[in-house]
Amino acid sequence: MLGALRSAARRLLGVTRTSTYYLPWIARPGLRCVLILNNVESRFTSARAGGPFPAAVVQYDARGTVVARYDAKVPTATEPLELPLDAVAEGHGFVTVDTARLQSDLYVTLGDDDAYTATHGRHEFVETYPAWTRAVHAALGAVAGLAGLTLPAFVRHQYVYVGAQDRSHVLLLNLSNVTNRIRTTAVADGATTARRLDAIAPRGAALLDVASLAPAGSAARVLHLRFTGNAWFNLYLVGAGPNDLAGPLSLMHVK
Amino acid sequence: MSSSSALCSATFVDPGYDHLVELVHQRDRVGHRRLESLELELYEPGGASLGRTAVDTRQDTLDLAALVAARAPGVARVMVTFDARYDSRVFPYRPHHYAYLKLRDSPDPPLYYAVNATLGGVPDRIEAATRQNNFETYIFLSRPAGERYGLRLGNLARFSSVEAQVITYHGEARAVLPVTLAPHEHADVQLPLEREGARLRRVELKTLFRLASYVTGRRADSGGLVLFDHLFTYFK
Repeated sequence: MLGALRSAARRLLGVTRTSTYYLPWIARPGLRCVLILNNVESRFTSARAGGPFPAAVVQYDARGTVVARYDAKVPTATEPLELPLDAVAEGHGFVTVDTARLQSDLYVTLGDDDAYTATHGRHEFVETYPAWTRAVHAALGAVAGLAGLTLPAFVRHQYVYVGAQDRSHVLLLNLSNVTNRIRTTAVADGATTARRLDAIAPRGAALLDVASLAPAGSAARVLHLRFTGNAWFNLYLVGAGPNDLAGPLSLMHVK
Repeated sequence: MSSSSALCSATFVDPGYDHLVELVHQRDRVGHRRLESLELELYEPGGASLGRTAVDTRQDTLDLAALVAARAPGVARVMVTFDARYDSRVFPYRPHHYAYLKLRDSPDPPLYYAVNATLGGVPDRIEAATRQNNFETYIFLSRPAGERYGLRLGNLARFSSVEAQVITYHGEARAVLPVTLAPHEHADVQLPLEREGARLRRVELKTLFRLASYVTGRRADSGGLVLFDHLFTYFK
């Protein structure tokens, strides 16, 4: 029922969904962010032949600006390509990968010379709103924003963790071409601890510091976050240790 | 006949880690109502049960490290199964437990992972879950020098042993390592970092039926986990 309503609303608003494979990225001094592009899951299909396999990569930063394009080619079905994302020294966002010739999940790694952590991307979609819908979003979103609210088109729930030596931040990805005003409500032990509203540029991203959502001196270990956005978005968790964002990080997918 | 639907997931617990498990990933009120019951069972590496316990499904998260420390003190590696029963209206969404894992007093970041859904889940009601899920693969980055890789495998079958094949690829060199697991037995399979001068690039796992399976990456110096991930099925 809800799905049918959503489809009808998308048709009414002229929204198109483009199938897209995306992965998050983070660049920090001393941290190497490398994609592993591969086609290994095609090994037992006819798609394994005909390499090298083109896999164009487009890298968007937090403002939604394209900061790099890579004409990547996966050599063979069994030989992966490691693609360092080194166009910017510091930042975050997401990359899209043209997977028309690839049949595999792709990995993003964060590490240094000693070790790395890894997660995988998502084969979902990005939404494109026509000009008049973008104008409506901008006008209504600005009004709602005055009251700290957003248009509640999409909702996601996520637990995050905060401790003296570790925490999980949230990397919010705006998978649309409109400004996405994402409202975050944090609840710990049944009580709301914080509310905030982030306006994320089209195709942009925001790194949400979990410490800003937990009251100072709180003993809460687990926060329940509720995100509401006016357009399609997704998120990854960013694990941080004692040195927080200045130390080694992990990226972690959610369902 | 019960209308509940079962999903059995499994993970592994090492001493020294904070380990928090979300009973319902991405909790909302509806999601929580549809988890009807959850029972955990603990197994030592040889497969002997260390006890079974029911969990209050109204909790957000479960402190798995504390539970294992209380019930299985001194056991180096414990396999924990999550026998969850859901109201069938939860489908076609596929429920998961996710978990937060952090080595205490370590400079490394915490990890977050999906607890391996191993048995059940009413496959014909879950989109794309009828795939063959007992032939999996994982690719490693070629560069870091200070990380050691392995597979963590557990046999959730009650009566049947399993003979698994762990296949490593170091460049062109392919090697097969047989692993036999009795019911509820579990193992840490170390993967050689180099063979014939080539780095480990990929691993495959072939079994007759699905095992609880994770890829691990550990720092060579401290042994701390920096990678704890699921493999990828070949057939989607």
